[in-house]
Amino acid sequence: MSESDDSMSEIDAQEQNHSNGVGGGIPDYIMNLDNIPAKLPTHLELHKTRVICNIDAPQHTDPINYSGAYAALGVDNSVRLDNFCQNFKVEVKRFTDEDIEFDMIGIDPAIANAFRRILIAEVPTMAIERVYIANNTSLIQDEVLAHRLGLIPINADPKLFEYPDNAGGENNEKNTIVFKLHVHCVKGQPRITVKSDALKWLPNGSELIADDTKPNAESKPKTFTSFRDNHDSKKKFAKNPPAPKNLDIILAKLGPGQEIELEAHAVKGIGKTHAKWSPVATAWYRMLPEVVLMEDVVDEMAEELVSKCPAKVFDIEDIGEGRRRARVVNARACTLCRECIREKESEDGADKKEKESEDGADKAIVIKKKEWEDLISLRRVKDHFIFTIESTGAISPDVLFTEAVKILEDKCERVITELS
Amino acid sequence: MDPLPEPVSYLCGDCGVENTLKPGDVIQCRECGYRILYKKRTRRIVQYEAR
Amino acid sequence: MEHGSYTDLSKSTFSLMDEDHTFANSVRFTLNQDPRVTFCGYSIPHPSENRVNVRVQTTGDPACEVLKDGCQDLMLMCQHVRNTFEKAVNDFKTSKTEDHMDI
Repeated sequence: MSESDDSMSEIDAQEQNHSNGVGGGIPDYIMNLDNIPAKLPTHLELHKTRVICNIDAPQHTDPINYSGAYAALGVDNSVRLDNFCQNFKVEVKRFTDEDIEFDMIGIDPAIANAFRRILIAEVPTMAIERVYIANNTSLIQDEVLAHRLGLIPINADPKLFEYPDNAGGENNEKNTIVFKLHVHCVKGQPRITVKSDALKWLPNGSELIADDTKPNAESKPKTFTSFRDNHDSKKKFAKNPPAPKNLDIILAKLGPGQEIELEAHAVKGIGKTHAKWSPVATAWYRMLPEVVLMEDVVDEMAEELVSKCPAKVFDIEDIGEGRRRARVVNARACTLCRECIREKESEDGADKKEKESEDGADKAIVIKKKEWEDLISLRRVKDHFIFTIESTGAISPDVLFTEAVKILEDKCERVITELS
Repeated sequence: MDPLPEPVSYLCGDCGVENTLKPGDVIQCRECGYRILYKKRTRRIVQYEAR
Repeated sequence: MEHGSYTDLSKSTFSLMDEDHTFANSVRFTLNQDPRVTFCGYSIPHPSENRVNVRVQTTGDPACEVLKDGCQDLMLMCQHVRNTFEKAVNDFKTSKTEDHMDI
């Protein structure tokens, strides 16, 4: 086995089932690639499963989905469901309360992208939508303050609430969370910083009187919400009352004598309507980078390669007799900056330029460029996604992903029922 | 007819003291005599969309 | 809503309200994987209208049925993704707690 095989097996350690030397005359590193249908010619297999990142531009970027794409070769390109189920894998790499990073292997970008889009725009959360300001003598304008309030992530399970449009315009305990904010900076005292912890949950709904007409002595004055007696919901929230997720978000600053008194009503919504309902800070994926040394890179070349890479993808190993060889140690870290295959105007090149004529120097550079690009093959695995979800904290990131998948399932179901 | 006009509170532009004026009163601060007065914000509730 | 010929059911355009690239591109993928499909593509006629048109042409089967099968496939894929993901997360959690126990 040559060096290139070694570096390949580092990457594909988990999928070494092709390595039994099939295909005489075909370089082993191609046969070692993931997910290669046995019958397809090797170069087509490479193009189907990898994006090749050349110095000028990436090549073979499009996924080949059409079932009859290789019909002329007698190869069936359709993916059966059981096939998919066999090959699909998930590996969690990092998981905290706020973010998760996992590898999704064996899935098409169309589906991975659908999950990403749903995470950002279609998973519901609670966010402040209406702000009733009774008094605000602070420097921050009413509408700016209202906007700031809207962006605060609210720690409340959206599953326990309904969308407001289901209630026919009525704001009740099933669709609204009411917060009160009343802060006052006493004259003669230093300035106050109002933070999100000043928002206090009102389990019984709004306390502000909605209309100017004098209330009757008997009937309760009309407020902005119509909460019913809600022992159930109070019990539901006893352990985990709705509150801002982060208690240290600065909302306003009050000078002596200034006051803010308001009520903020949070409702359920989705990120498509407004980004404040988006449950994620970001959700993104990238394809797994694959770095393959096509030939041995030794001694000074190896050291140059190691120092060239800003992502520290390469390392040097001793191969005895005082010789050193470059090795791919962390292909995952590769950002595909392509610095390793870029031709620097190296010192010897510059020297040559001075010594030789214009033509000669150009030629020397051209020859060297070809060398680096031939030595290193930068690729991306088309069906291996490194998926990262950064939650705003209100919903745990693994729940977010499960919810996103469920939403796509619901979409399918809706279309099926619509067609039947 | 309009109901009896209520006295309105104003803040002095110079010393910040609260003045209560009725229609026809001289517009002048009772404490410092400054003639620029600012109307206080009403407590009428204003609704905003948090967007 | 389906637009197509009454006599030839194998070629149709489906106009789906309140859907976008999220669903249309996914179902385009599953349909393209189906050997019965000769052509499948989608378009969004106007960006401010929440509608996608999905075009399905088949080798003979009714396009409506093939589209339904495509949706069904996508749904089963999603279910598998969800189960696999939940299992992976649980495995990760248990392995983490075991690490803590060792310390």
